[in-house]
Amino acid sequence: MQAKVNPVGEPLQYADVNRDVIRSLTQTGRRYYIALATAFGLTIVCFFFPWFYQLYYGLGAAGMNHPGVWGTYLANFIFWIGLSHSGTLLSCVLHLTNSTWRKAMYRSAEAMTLFSLMVAATFVMVHVGRPWFIHWALPYSNQMELWPNFRSPLLFDVMAIATYLTGSSIFIYMGSIPDFAAARDRTAGWRHHMYVLLSMGWRGTDKEWHRLGWAYTFLAVLIIPLAVSVHSIVSWDFAMSLVPALHQTIFAPYFVVGAIYSGTAGIVTVMFVLRKSMNFEQYITEVHFDNLGKLLLALSLMWTYINIVELFTGWYSGTSAEHEALKFKLFGYYALLYWEMILFCAVAPLLLISTRFRTSLVPMLILSIAINIGMYTERFLIVATSLSRQYLPDAWGLYVPSLVEISILVGSLAMFVTLFLLFVKIFPSVSMYEVKETMGAPGREFPEKGTELWPKTQ
Amino acid sequence: MAENAVGLFARPELALSAAEELVDAGFTATELMSPVPVEGVEEVLGRNKSAIKRFTFFGCIFGACFGFSLAAGTAVLYLHPTGGRPIITVPPFLIITYEMGILFGILATVIGFFISARLPAMSDRVYVPEASVDKFVVTVPCSNREEFDRAEGILRNADAEEIRAIGEVL
Repeated sequence: MQAKVNPVGEPLQYADVNRDVIRSLTQTGRRYYIALATAFGLTIVCFFFPWFYQLYYGLGAAGMNHPGVWGTYLANFIFWIGLSHSGTLLSCVLHLTNSTWRKAMYRSAEAMTLFSLMVAATFVMVHVGRPWFIHWALPYSNQMELWPNFRSPLLFDVMAIATYLTGSSIFIYMGSIPDFAAARDRTAGWRHHMYVLLSMGWRGTDKEWHRLGWAYTFLAVLIIPLAVSVHSIVSWDFAMSLVPALHQTIFAPYFVVGAIYSGTAGIVTVMFVLRKSMNFEQYITEVHFDNLGKLLLALSLMWTYINIVELFTGWYSGTSAEHEALKFKLFGYYALLYWEMILFCAVAPLLLISTRFRTSLVPMLILSIAINIGMYTERFLIVATSLSRQYLPDAWGLYVPSLVEISILVGSLAMFVTLFLLFVKIFPSVSMYEVKETMGAPGREFPEKGTELWPKTQ
Repeated sequence: MAENAVGLFARPELALSAAEELVDAGFTATELMSPVPVEGVEEVLGRNKSAIKRFTFFGCIFGACFGFSLAAGTAVLYLHPTGGRPIITVPPFLIITYEMGILFGILATVIGFFISARLPAMSDRVYVPEASVDKFVVTVPCSNREEFDRAEGILRNADAEEIRAIGEVL
């Protein structure tokens, strides 16, 4: 690995970390503004305009109809919830296992969680048709005796996602307090005032570090089972219905593994972009891509195994409805999408066996995008293929998304990018104090002779 | 704010040994500010107990009780019998119990952190901006000139790069 040096060729010091990360907050080039304007414009044009069009003309503007009553809005919802999964979950697991390589990348991964959840939550509003009644999902008494049904997975969803969003926001904020304080000391104007408020008077005393360490660990312990429960509950939205190909007990682990899989691929994409655009080559290195690649490989094998089990249980059930759903999925109208999913999510990731592939950044970027295309397809197929082949042949039908739905999908991607671009200018996207922790005491040569910044063994 | 003797150190072990000597000399309110957590500081300065775990524990318990009461209370107050199933259906209500337990546990942990770390800061406190970059800073509040001189001497003997006086001049 190449030695870590600052611009004048000396070993990297603590002050260099502050300088590099705060520079990423305060120095903004033209390319950033162009990217932000493009993403924001696309959000307005592709997300909000079609949504208002749908609100005005009704849900008929979307391609949903009997029997395909769920469509891409629910597929988008599962996709974004899934993408949210790896960030905070991975960060918590790696924090508890004391993995040093987590430290440069976890802040951006957690931000990915936060913004994916926000985008996912908007799809609930898009999907329900009359979002001005969204408060009916909240548990409060009213004159119509309209109380939510706590036996329904849909209400489990409300509770789980609200908890996950709250927990993820708090987790990313708590971990950022020391960095807000560092930014507070080196900024001026409105940024300084913002960081004064966000840092809450943090000074970095022994007592504050001790309390933060404990609180952060407790939060990590609480968030791990929460993250697992969130996607299990999303899977029950489907599995607790009596629709062939959905009514399966394997759905909860299937969704959780799929979510972590697509989330990890999302982290690879985000890390690549961040490394290039913010000049973080010193901090986000090949070791990160190598480790994430190994994780992706393990997840792809688990995902493939669960897919095989899902097909097997469908076939082994011996019921004609399950057999028909299975046949339709493998060889029916949507078969091309199914095999594309298999290619992108089960076959292509086998390349990750090669260390050379895992440490080649552009191929890793391409693969991570391909995996997420495959995972989006998976979510679409879960919704589309099962509803298209229910028990009675006279209830069979096909679902094809309308232009409004496709546009809203594109707009949701732009919304995510917009939120992330705003994030990188407010939050220090690399954790300064945790990167410093990996460097040893100031004054020592960094990395010390014979050592690496991110040891491969961890 | 009383006058504080403040020593800036380049390395954590020097700051830690200075803090230890100050505590031994009777300066029990000595603090160590640093850009990263310093290993072993709890043993020297003795602030290794916090109430956060109690906040987390009771937050989870309260949240779980609240979650179950919310679901069960709703079912009892607004009866909606379905297919002969019990009104209070424990398995699905346990999921609400679980989620609310975690939510309140998280919120209580945050409250516990802010209370035990005494944040947000409501009054002026000693602060050295270098502590968020690369310096390890030992601060000693002093009540009279003699104490200040004694603390300054200890900091100087411990190889402080720089010594400052912060606060009202004694």
